[in-house]
Amino acid sequence: MKKLYEWFDGRFNISPLIAEAQRSVNFALPSTITRQNRSKIFWLGYPYYYAGSIVAFLAILQGITGLLLAFHYVPSAVGDPGTPTQAYTSVQNIMKFIPLGALIRGIHQWGANLLVAALAIHAFWAFFRSPYRVGREISWLLGAVSLGLALAYSFSGYLLPWDQLGYWAATISVQIMRSIPALGDLIAQILLGGTSLSAATLARMYFYHVSLLPVVALVLVGAHIVLVVLQGVSEPEEVWKTEKTGQKPGQGQAGPLFGPFIPHQIIPVLILSLITLGIVLLLGAYAVQMPGDPANKFLTPQFIAPEWYFLWAYGLLKWVGWLYEIAHFVPPAMVFGVDLLSAKVVGILVAATMFLVLVLMPVIDRGDEVRVLRRPLKTTIGVWAIGLLSTLTLYALNEILSSILSIPIGTMNVVLGSIVIVAPLAAAVPVYALLRRHAAKATTQEA
Amino acid sequence: MTEKAADGSEKKPRCRIDRRQFVQTIVSLGIVGTVVSFMSLLMSLLPNTGAGEEEGEVDNVLKYGPEKGTWYSDRPGTEVKLEDFDQIGKGAGVLWRKRIPAIVMRVDESKLRDATATNGLIAFAAACTHLCCISTWRLDRPNEDILWCRCHDGAFDPYNIVKDVMPNGTEYLGAKVIAGPPPRAAPIIPIEIKDGKVAGVAKDLGLYDYCG
Repeated sequence: MKKLYEWFDGRFNISPLIAEAQRSVNFALPSTITRQNRSKIFWLGYPYYYAGSIVAFLAILQGITGLLLAFHYVPSAVGDPGTPTQAYTSVQNIMKFIPLGALIRGIHQWGANLLVAALAIHAFWAFFRSPYRVGREISWLLGAVSLGLALAYSFSGYLLPWDQLGYWAATISVQIMRSIPALGDLIAQILLGGTSLSAATLARMYFYHVSLLPVVALVLVGAHIVLVVLQGVSEPEEVWKTEKTGQKPGQGQAGPLFGPFIPHQIIPVLILSLITLGIVLLLGAYAVQMPGDPANKFLTPQFIAPEWYFLWAYGLLKWVGWLYEIAHFVPPAMVFGVDLLSAKVVGILVAATMFLVLVLMPVIDRGDEVRVLRRPLKTTIGVWAIGLLSTLTLYALNEILSSILSIPIGTMNVVLGSIVIVAPLAAAVPVYALLRRHAAKATTQEA
Repeated sequence: MTEKAADGSEKKPRCRIDRRQFVQTIVSLGIVGTVVSFMSLLMSLLPNTGAGEEEGEVDNVLKYGPEKGTWYSDRPGTEVKLEDFDQIGKGAGVLWRKRIPAIVMRVDESKLRDATATNGLIAFAAACTHLCCISTWRLDRPNEDILWCRCHDGAFDPYNIVKDVMPNGTEYLGAKVIAGPPPRAAPIIPIEIKDGKVAGVAKDLGLYDYCG
């Protein structure tokens, strides 16, 4: 082994690089959990703190299973509507005849869902913790873009089996994309090869899913992780409780607060990764979803809904429509030459604004305070946003809920629609009041 | 090239490029030109509009659609006949010219406003003007006389025909939006009866292209 290393080093001079990597990995990360809070059962409270590493682990898993699936999948949607295309039959083939094919696809399917979930936790955690304050703006930006990347991945992947559900979910998304003022049709044509779904769309989606996005993801997420290693993790709040050390947070210097990545940090990462793997394997083995009927562009299936993490957007669209309806407001057909006030354009604008705010957080939110409990306004906005996203998700299920609970759809809409307005506020207002009091008290104590 | 001044000393010419500058300029121009001209290759990303099948003589007779659990579910793809619609309120999801989904139904002509039915039948384009899901007639709401879209609860009234305008400015007649998000009426497809078969009248075909 040593000889091999020397052979390599003699030719490529890698030892300085390795030494540098070891140095940054070993000293850059805070070991608060190991030093200050040694007695804590940290991995019960810290899955949030390590959600990013779960995302990374799942991304690797997606890469491996995706690679295996690519050996058998055929990206062709040529055929009459409603008949199985080659894409459809190849997925059936994977599910039925390829050894372990169903398990591999199950892992890929559930891995994608869990990845988005972990990514959402990671993103919200980061939002509350304000890590971008201390020179990590670029990491934040890369992270926000990666969030969009994950959604692009799942959007393109959902369409690949070319079944009814994927087809109609994508159709609606495409038509929403087309309603982007002025540029909609051009964007749809360039991204999807047409203003409606066709065999050309599947070819492009497949290219994005297996070729373009992986490269972009490797670069962006790779940079995100490299920056974390270079700059250090933005340390958890407990650091603030030990002010006796007198260190400024987030500077990544060696000291009593900081410990080596190996072995201190890697252990919770590995524990969580193994737990995640177990969950994915179980779900993939026992809860894999077969593709539905082959896509038919002349037949919209009974219940259509996007994947759960797009439900809030679907709900937003429906909810704005409902608001218009109860207010007896008919949006003017054209404002400045586009249907600016139609529910779908309003939906696009709201979603785009939310993403823009997320990206621009380092610019919007400046100052020194990062403690969650000392930031009443920002924490409240975060709580409100979570409330809004979950109630909108609930609203998206209005039809299903109304048929399950056998409540007329009109009544259901009123109930759910009011929940969307009231519940996030009901959560946010007390949080704000409490935090204001807490912050005021803490300030007087410190003074 | 330099010129000798009257006193014999060398005078600098007004505009002189040395060889280094020349090479730098040429190479930068070349790089910029290459990048710009390669950008034009991005044109290839636009969809191929010419490759679609030529629309020559296409059969205008309506064909039954593929919806399961309907009275016509045993005959998808077969021709729509007038005699099949033997009572008011009977309707079917059909396909026109192999690509335009439509709904044809028998209506109570006395209740029909501002439009005339053909032998009691009337037809509408079924692609919802909201986000292009396919509307249905009485399938999910059997007691209501509406064209209904499952995706976002859009509803159109086939008895209330109104004038509307497509985004490209074309005026048309269609079933009025009575609920939900659709921005425009569902366009009427004019029909005629040929040998007992129901056929669409192919004029203003561009009107039905709003779903791309």
